[in-house]
Amino acid sequence: MLDLILQALYSGVLQGGSYALIALGLALVFGTMKVINLAHGEFVLLAAYMAHTVEAKLGLSPVLAIPVALVLVCLCAVVVYFLISLIRKDRELNSLILTYGVGIILTNAVLLIWSADVRSTSSAWMQDAFVVGPFYSMRSELLFFAVSIVLMGALWWWLSRSWYGRAVRAVSSNRDAAKLMGINPRATEIVSFVVAGILAAFAGVAIFSYGVIQPAFGHVLTVKAFIITVLAGIGSIPGVLVGALLLGVAEALTVTLASSALQELAGMALFLMVLFVMPNGLFGAAGRRG
Amino acid sequence: MKMSRTGLALIAAAYIAVPLLLGSNNYVMSLVVAAMIIGGIALAWALLGNLGGMVSFGHSAFFGVGAYVSALLTMKAGVPVLAAMLLGGAGAVLASLVMLPVLRLKGPYFALAILAYAHIFKIIATEWSSVTGGSAGLASVPRFPELMGFDFSGKIGSYLIILTVLLAFVAAYRAIRASHYGIALRAMHDSEDATRVVGVNSTLLKAVMLFVSAFMTGVVGAFNVHYINFLEPDYAFSGLWVTLPIVAAIFGGYRTIVGPLAGAVTVYLVDQLVFKNLIPSGHQLILGALLVAMIIFSPGGLIPLLRKGFGRKHAAA
Repeated sequence: MLDLILQALYSGVLQGGSYALIALGLALVFGTMKVINLAHGEFVLLAAYMAHTVEAKLGLSPVLAIPVALVLVCLCAVVVYFLISLIRKDRELNSLILTYGVGIILTNAVLLIWSADVRSTSSAWMQDAFVVGPFYSMRSELLFFAVSIVLMGALWWWLSRSWYGRAVRAVSSNRDAAKLMGINPRATEIVSFVVAGILAAFAGVAIFSYGVIQPAFGHVLTVKAFIITVLAGIGSIPGVLVGALLLGVAEALTVTLASSALQELAGMALFLMVLFVMPNGLFGAAGRRG
Repeated sequence: MKMSRTGLALIAAAYIAVPLLLGSNNYVMSLVVAAMIIGGIALAWALLGNLGGMVSFGHSAFFGVGAYVSALLTMKAGVPVLAAMLLGGAGAVLASLVMLPVLRLKGPYFALAILAYAHIFKIIATEWSSVTGGSAGLASVPRFPELMGFDFSGKIGSYLIILTVLLAFVAAYRAIRASHYGIALRAMHDSEDATRVVGVNSTLLKAVMLFVSAFMTGVVGAFNVHYINFLEPDYAFSGLWVTLPIVAAIFGGYRTIVGPLAGAVTVYLVDQLVFKNLIPSGHQLILGALLVAMIIFSPGGLIPLLRKGFGRKHAAA
């Protein structure tokens, strides 16, 4: 039994890596624009389907889909940014409905192009077992966990050291003051959208490489990413990482101890508990409550 | 409350002319009833958005809970169908009680939290199979009864029931909007903080609007289950019960009462008769595009846009 639980913890942590990438993108855009991009999960899905196409049509490893996915997803992100910037009033709520509409468009486009079938990788290398001591995982899981750790490190470096990264943080914390410091908030917003797209592209390829995808999955990912940002609290990158790992572990434990059908319920339970007990999240400052 | 002559004439036409003219065509009647079901949810959604200032992506939860409560009450407890429909609405209100902590969250957080809730109810309906029949669903849910010698289980009877339900909703909506709660709600829309300062319990008012909206959606869900006599989790909690009403309400104008209803009839009929023939699977793509276009070009809906157009014409003449 203990073995099983330890194994579930391990798998959950590995899964948490991709979750963190997705949630960080959502949080980044929310930070600069105060907009929750409900189509964010669909960005991830799009990247996942690109990986599927590269593997099924060209017979290449899904990893090689990353450049294509990056271009496509970043393009989508920029388009969504421009659509949002066209909103004239009540941007906070109207942007929700708008991105919800974009999500519908993308989900149905995926449905039209790739049909409703469930897809997963057929690459033997990706699915091969990789055993570390008592722990078992697929190679792809470990590979993409490493990739997500590297990406998060890069993101942390970018946000704390580079000019644009610091501009993103400045706009997030005080838009007007950032303007006074000579930061162009619009450029910063585009940058945050593109960075979110980059993270989503990697996460999408990762999810295809070790899991199964289907058109309705984008929506589920958006909800997961949102739950993680609630767990984390606003404006905390380590918080997002911890939240993502928590969600991954909670889901893996539920699958091991109860049933896989209840997997999503685990995230919800976690989410409700945090809302009741710590409404500002595990690491967040005040500001979410009305 | 004054009712205009055109309003009365429209109601009379809806009760008498529609069944007489279209009643013989089962296909047309089923399209009309389905459009009215979407209209009911759209109205409930718009009420929450307009009066409560909240955007919900989780109305499928209320729709599904209302359907399940009503279906189970009639099948297991022998409650009469029409009473069970109202209890279905009450069930949806109970479901919305769970969402109360979310009300303290600001706009985008509320919208997403309620979306997350909709998933919970779907999972419960699927997993609690001893009561709900699980993913296989419930078959042969009781139909509408025969009352005063008229069989309400047919297309015309169902049409008359949903029409009455919708009119009751419209009357309730108007009453709320005209009451002093309506004034407080409108003030809240301008500035929630300022409204709180003058002594309005804004959280309570928002909660009441959530209850009203949930009740309406639950009743519509209950109507739908007795109308189609079948229920399964994927259908009851389908995202369709969110997408179509939102598109309808935004298209018609969610700040008006007629807008969501007119929007539902237009959007649903065009979707079924035109879009579905163009793209059999994935025709919602066009709905999504419509939603995006509406938000960018006319977030107030088509009715204000038309009015503006007419206004310009008058000014020119």
